[in-house]
Amino acid sequence: MGKRVAICAVSQIKNDGDYWYLRFQNMLLPCLEAILEQTGVTFDLDKGIRDIITCSDDVYDARTISNNGVTDVVGAHLRGEEKMAQEAINGLGYAMASILSGHDDVVLFMGHCKETQTESRLMNTNLAFDPFYSRPLGLDFINANAFQAREYQDKSGLTDEHLAKIVVRSRENAKKNPYARENELVTVQDVMKSSMIADPIRELHLYPVTDWAFGMLLCCEERAYEFTDNPVWITGFGNCMDSYFLGDRDLTSNFSLKRAAQRAYEMAGIKDPKKDFDVVELMDSFAYQLPLWAEGVGIVDEGKGAEWIDGKGADDQNVNLSGGMLNGNPIILGGVARALECVLQLRGEAGKSQVKGAKRALAHGCYGAAGQHQAVVVLEK
Amino acid sequence: MMQEFDKNDCFTLNGKLALPYSYFAGRVGSTFITTIRDQKKIMGVRCDTCNKVFIPPRQTCERCFSDIRENWVDLENTGIVTNFTVVRYDDKHLPRKAPFVLALIKLDGADTPFVHILDGIEPEKVEVGMKVEAVFAKETTNTILDIDHFAPVTERVRVIEPSAPVAKQEKKELSKDERDQLERRKAMSHKVIITAALSGAATMKNQNPNVPYTPKEFAEEAAKCYKAGAAMVHVHAREESGMATHEHDKIKATHDAIKDKTPELIVNLSSAVGMGKTPEQRISQIIHVKPEMASLNTNTMNFSIVERKTGKIFLDYVFENTFTMLQDFGRAMEENGVKPEIECYDMGGLDNTLIIMKQGFFTFPINFNFVWGVAGGQSFRPDAFIAMKNALPPNANYTTCGVGTDEFPCITLSCMLGGHMRVGLEDNIRTPKGDLAKGSFELVEWAVRIAEIFGREPATPDEAREIMGIVKR
Repeated sequence: MGKRVAICAVSQIKNDGDYWYLRFQNMLLPCLEAILEQTGVTFDLDKGIRDIITCSDDVYDARTISNNGVTDVVGAHLRGEEKMAQEAINGLGYAMASILSGHDDVVLFMGHCKETQTESRLMNTNLAFDPFYSRPLGLDFINANAFQAREYQDKSGLTDEHLAKIVVRSRENAKKNPYARENELVTVQDVMKSSMIADPIRELHLYPVTDWAFGMLLCCEERAYEFTDNPVWITGFGNCMDSYFLGDRDLTSNFSLKRAAQRAYEMAGIKDPKKDFDVVELMDSFAYQLPLWAEGVGIVDEGKGAEWIDGKGADDQNVNLSGGMLNGNPIILGGVARALECVLQLRGEAGKSQVKGAKRALAHGCYGAAGQHQAVVVLEK
Repeated sequence: MMQEFDKNDCFTLNGKLALPYSYFAGRVGSTFITTIRDQKKIMGVRCDTCNKVFIPPRQTCERCFSDIRENWVDLENTGIVTNFTVVRYDDKHLPRKAPFVLALIKLDGADTPFVHILDGIEPEKVEVGMKVEAVFAKETTNTILDIDHFAPVTERVRVIEPSAPVAKQEKKELSKDERDQLERRKAMSHKVIITAALSGAATMKNQNPNVPYTPKEFAEEAAKCYKAGAAMVHVHAREESGMATHEHDKIKATHDAIKDKTPELIVNLSSAVGMGKTPEQRISQIIHVKPEMASLNTNTMNFSIVERKTGKIFLDYVFENTFTMLQDFGRAMEENGVKPEIECYDMGGLDNTLIIMKQGFFTFPINFNFVWGVAGGQSFRPDAFIAMKNALPPNANYTTCGVGTDEFPCITLSCMLGGHMRVGLEDNIRTPKGDLAKGSFELVEWAVRIAEIFGREPATPDEAREIMGIVKR
């Protein structure tokens, strides 16, 4: 293992179901100010921030070149500025590559998404599909994921009750997280009675509409301690893309997630993912995805996701103690939010959710219909 | 770390992104969509290296990077549901109102399923593994929605349960009624039944503007044909647009308009209706309208549009008429008092009828129509005609029709040999002189002249009923 990249600071605003009174610039500014305050980093062109990576989405921001809308607030004038138009967890890989390649020492990484700005998340995700074969049929990230849900439930024996338990647990865990979206606690019965929206997916099986923004400061190993006494190291990163058309894929094989995980594990020297992680955060935008992705990253045996839910495996392995994406993060940020939660755990700053002595964590994110693109990050103290 | 915000006098602005655009579909995409649009045919592309047929098509195999853009493969219009969801929310990007079903469908001949709408079934009854078929859109959007949706493949129509062991019919003695009927027919052997096939499913106004589409146009054309000497009209009802329709109300409106204006005429409805109709759609309208006669097709065959000079295929289509359909449609007609006109496009169709006839449900006498010149059937040849005439069961009637220039030679031979004649714009749009016919009635006038030459008289509708064993309604 060569040089490492440090995450020196993380910041966020509270996840919220309606920041109608904030522009997304308003959401980002406190995140930036918190990074500056925690680290003392400046925009000095010799020693400070010269490179900024932002994550945002043109369609959700309702404008072209959405990064241009935040240039001021992230301090990007006369500096390198790049946009991750994808699940933001990939921005960690991008920042890591910038630093390891020697391009720069310090990278500011920020992102926002205000889902409430849009009338319909589904109209937006319909645009992820091609205009000839798929878009006219009305495909979006709910009905496309419903195919994956059905197939996985058939394969693994995951029932409506299992799904309800996953939702109940997510909301209970989120109550311990001060930055989590404030949702009502629900019972298994509540979830099982919530309306079916795209069989077998019920209304409470998917993450609620959420607004959020975050910031991070990344730095090369040599200079990390200039900005923090408590760095968290990115020791592994991998991502992978599956086929575009749903019908070309095996929707429950975790093809791309297994490869993303394998790449990250090789880089970080992970031998047994079941034992090597103290904390795991999986991007479960839908309830069925928690066990499916758990199988994909290898913390659960193939096809054993339902048993894992029955056996409280998620609690034993400290999976999604933050509440997960299921409790509410916006699209394109659900994966990076997982990484941020892992950083807090490894720094010992996870409050009521804190896992004592956590040394190594796995964060996962995905994007596209039915988890087409997958990314895995290994973080260590 | 968040400051408290003063929300007084704050408001939100309602904006809208509406961005019309035009995309180039690409050469592969264009071919795929236009083939669906123009030929009602779905194609995939095959990677020979990976031994996989993909749909939607693409120009490069993502697995091995082979160029596969030319490797088109015809797929069936039928397939299996491999996965589905019921969309229970409404939104502006959705093509249907909720609830509707989106399914992954693996077409017969393809290796990858693709997404489409499943309709014609209650969402609660959808199952993985069910067999479905494409229903094509009436109007093109140049997208995948040129397939309007998929629908369950209808169970073969079972109007009546198959009867217990069927008595052998071959050497059955004629009853007294049947013998009497035969005698009356012999006395009328100089009468020739002229049928006018007014429209068919595929002759359009751009080929001959006198093709009727509306009930009123059908009624007027039928009256002219009756006046010219026709005893029967054969009808494929149309929509206003000219598309052949299977909708009961439209077909009944056309049938009734003809009967209202000319009560004497025999109306013979098509049980083929038009391309792409399901067995249920084809027979249920006959049972609904109960015409005096209806066509009964005898053989699954190609029924295509080709350019005869060059051999170029314009539209390839398989006209499905299984033994089961021959049996079930035939039984349904007889059960409902509709006399079948048995359509034989070659000797095989006649032989199929001779087999099914042994079940004994066809009433005496049996009426055949020899059809010539369909691309997929046989062209008119006098020796083939005589062979078919000689293969008919005893005491059967026969008429004949021919596509295009086969029309007048085949009816002339039929008239000469004692058979009957069918003409009309369904089969042929021109007179023997080569002019566009002013209507089917003008072709009837030519048939009357042929009858005169051979000393035969056009049968009145009542005489035609007597000859063909039709019960007048």
